[in-house]
Amino acid sequence: MSEIKKVRTVCRSCHGGCGVIVHVKDGKAVKVEGDPESPISRGSLCSKGLSILQLAYHPERILHPLKKVDGNWKRVSWNEALDITVENLNRVIKEYGPESVVIGQGTGRDYESHLYRFANLLGTPNVLTAGHMCYVSRVGATLITCGNLPVADYRGNPRCIVMWACNPLWTNPDEYKGIDFWDAYKKGAKLIVIDPRKGFLAKKADLWLQLRPGTDGALAIGFLKVIIEENLYDRDFVENYIHGWGPFKERILGHSLEWVEEVTWVKRDLIVQAARMYANTKPAAIHWGVPTEQTINCTDCTRLLTALMAITGNLDSPGGNVFYVPPNVRKVSDFALHKELGERAKKRLGGEQYKLASRVALITPKVAWEAILTGKPYPLKAGLLCGTNPVVTRANAREVYEALKRLEFLVVIDFFMTPTAELAHLFLPAATWLEVNHVADNWKRHGFVLARQKAVEIGEAWQDHKIFMELGKRMGQMWWDTVEDALDYILEPAGLTWEEFKRIGYLQGQMEYYKYREKGFSTPTGKVELYSTILEKWGRDPLPKYTEPPESPLSRPDLLKRYPYILNAGLRTPTFFHSANRQIPWLREIRPHPIVEIHPETAQKEGIEEGMWVWIESTRGKVRLKAKLNEGIHPKVVVAEHGWWFPEIKDPGHGWEISNINILTDNSHESMDPVMGATNIRVLLCNISPCKEV
Amino acid sequence: MGKISLIIKRRECMGCHACEVACKQEHNLPTGPRLIRVIEKAPDFIPVYCHHCANAPCMESCPEKAIYKNELGMVLIKEELCIGCMACVEACPFGAMQFFEEQNVAVKCDLCIHRISEGQGPACASVCPTRCIIFGDTKGLLDRMGAR
Repeated sequence: MSEIKKVRTVCRSCHGGCGVIVHVKDGKAVKVEGDPESPISRGSLCSKGLSILQLAYHPERILHPLKKVDGNWKRVSWNEALDITVENLNRVIKEYGPESVVIGQGTGRDYESHLYRFANLLGTPNVLTAGHMCYVSRVGATLITCGNLPVADYRGNPRCIVMWACNPLWTNPDEYKGIDFWDAYKKGAKLIVIDPRKGFLAKKADLWLQLRPGTDGALAIGFLKVIIEENLYDRDFVENYIHGWGPFKERILGHSLEWVEEVTWVKRDLIVQAARMYANTKPAAIHWGVPTEQTINCTDCTRLLTALMAITGNLDSPGGNVFYVPPNVRKVSDFALHKELGERAKKRLGGEQYKLASRVALITPKVAWEAILTGKPYPLKAGLLCGTNPVVTRANAREVYEALKRLEFLVVIDFFMTPTAELAHLFLPAATWLEVNHVADNWKRHGFVLARQKAVEIGEAWQDHKIFMELGKRMGQMWWDTVEDALDYILEPAGLTWEEFKRIGYLQGQMEYYKYREKGFSTPTGKVELYSTILEKWGRDPLPKYTEPPESPLSRPDLLKRYPYILNAGLRTPTFFHSANRQIPWLREIRPHPIVEIHPETAQKEGIEEGMWVWIESTRGKVRLKAKLNEGIHPKVVVAEHGWWFPEIKDPGHGWEISNINILTDNSHESMDPVMGATNIRVLLCNISPCKEV
Repeated sequence: MGKISLIIKRRECMGCHACEVACKQEHNLPTGPRLIRVIEKAPDFIPVYCHHCANAPCMESCPEKAIYKNELGMVLIKEELCIGCMACVEACPFGAMQFFEEQNVAVKCDLCIHRISEGQGPACASVCPTRCIIFGDTKGLLDRMGAR
């Protein structure tokens, strides 16, 4: 009997970075378990990570390249697949220019560095990611405000935590695992939870502020107002390190708490109480989640929350919101060679309008669909989409579907034949995190890099990094001979090779607090720019404000008769990661159906019972999901899961239209954040009714 | 070693279901039988699991004496003796006793007895992010819970 070999690696079933020990027998992974020595997860592992064997060895996983011939998929060799890709990309580049190729990724399998390097060397500025409304938008807004992303410093023992639109133990935790949060909470930190939905943390909170979806920016103005009026801010910090305090203060004080209450639905007493608790408890950290970004207020809301951290003196202070120091390895941006793009960056679609998106090197999806469908301002003719299923995950799904169908050449890199992949001409099989060598988490701002190392190889799947390398080399780009050679390059500043790093497991940057006292902030004025000189230069409002979402009860009272409820179209759940995992038996058993949460009173009024299929309809269409009654949401709000398609439906659409909440969402320019192009998926108007057809 | 128990601090269960999948993997179980399960009754979560009862109704109901209690107080099943009558499934007041249809046998939580012999806790407890699944000798656990 052969021995079990244990390989220590890092999960990538979400953004996580949790430590995993993989048991391998005869070249096959037979078990995974949490790694108690992981500095990120300390032994815990979630349902998604624990199910990786069912994903990696799934009978429907595609393990060799496929090309479409007369509407049918046919197996081809890697050699042929790469040749087809290069030939088609070169043809489009020759005829229309490199900018006519769009390179896309979803939330990513930690290959941003390689994807961007490929795109930059190809010469296209058109990289389409989830970043317009998820995380990168927060990074962009903080870059122009305080020079970096401030992250809740759980390791510095916050005494007060404001959990703003996030449930990090339940779903994807961006920089940090919920473990660190939980430890800080258990040590007795006060907890303020801001969430329209009474989740686990809202029940645990000292104060729960149940706001109207999409009004986070207005609530932040309420907090700021109380803190300024009651002189609870850090005078020294404000005097020395804020740019534009006078006009900012004036802007904030121009709002009344009555207005904040009316807009947010949060009682003003509670706002005052929460603002005082946050400002008076030191240190205090704000942990923010994507709902703050997924509205028209994306950039302004991030800037308002940054203002809260700054004026209370919690920026870059232990236990506050800090700029973690990365380990000394090559940065993603250096590896990605953004500078090589040169003048071509000016051709970025929507670059003139969405200047902040352009600053962080991405496009909002809307401009890609428009360019494909209208040829304006120039046509997009070819696409390479890696680990993304935009037909299900991007706003206005029908437009996405129509656009992708029209591309002359589309190649998709993924594990399974998704509704998006079915629209492609070529399918390239990607490796799961069990099959990957990478210096992981390098893009994050949490101060670590982690060794994700290959435990097994499965079929002919290649890790995404290798796909970009081999494609790039065939197109004359500068890459390395092997994936591991490129990792040596990334690790070089640390004086390590990949082989050495693998044995160490991780590197952590040496943390320093209060860096601004020596170096200032990385903004044009060297201060925290509550008055943004960059936005001013772009001809935008330099001060943050609250804008009512364009389809809400306040902005569209005319729609209320027909569409009386606010639809929050973005519920994340523990077992799925966006559109992933619907074919994983253990996970689908736990959450078999797409869920819409409805308040019991509302359900009764509409004749809806628990478990019933429900039609949800907006002005843009209707889909059906199953009712789950939840008294923890407001009766005027319904909350729907996103990301649903049905792998078990075997026709090429795989049921993408049945329960896909993005058929209801809007991506009109007027509905998006004006500088970032964040799509609004958290506030729409809808009606609900029992679905009798099923 | 005294009697051992597993207790879930219900108020600290946040419904991530990691315990369920860890259990499935550990026991190599397909969909169907769920030896530990978290039911979501928004906004609450209710863990359903075997309590290894002192006077276990499943054990008492079994006509074949396939269910027994070992010296550590763990209620275990000898699957080879099970005739698939499901009396134990009906008898369990917690809904923890499960039936494995493909093999026509009852299956139940064994507290990962094979892991305990290696000095590890049950798989479910090993992955829980809030550490709300606690395991150990019964007396000590009750002390820790402050529930005596």
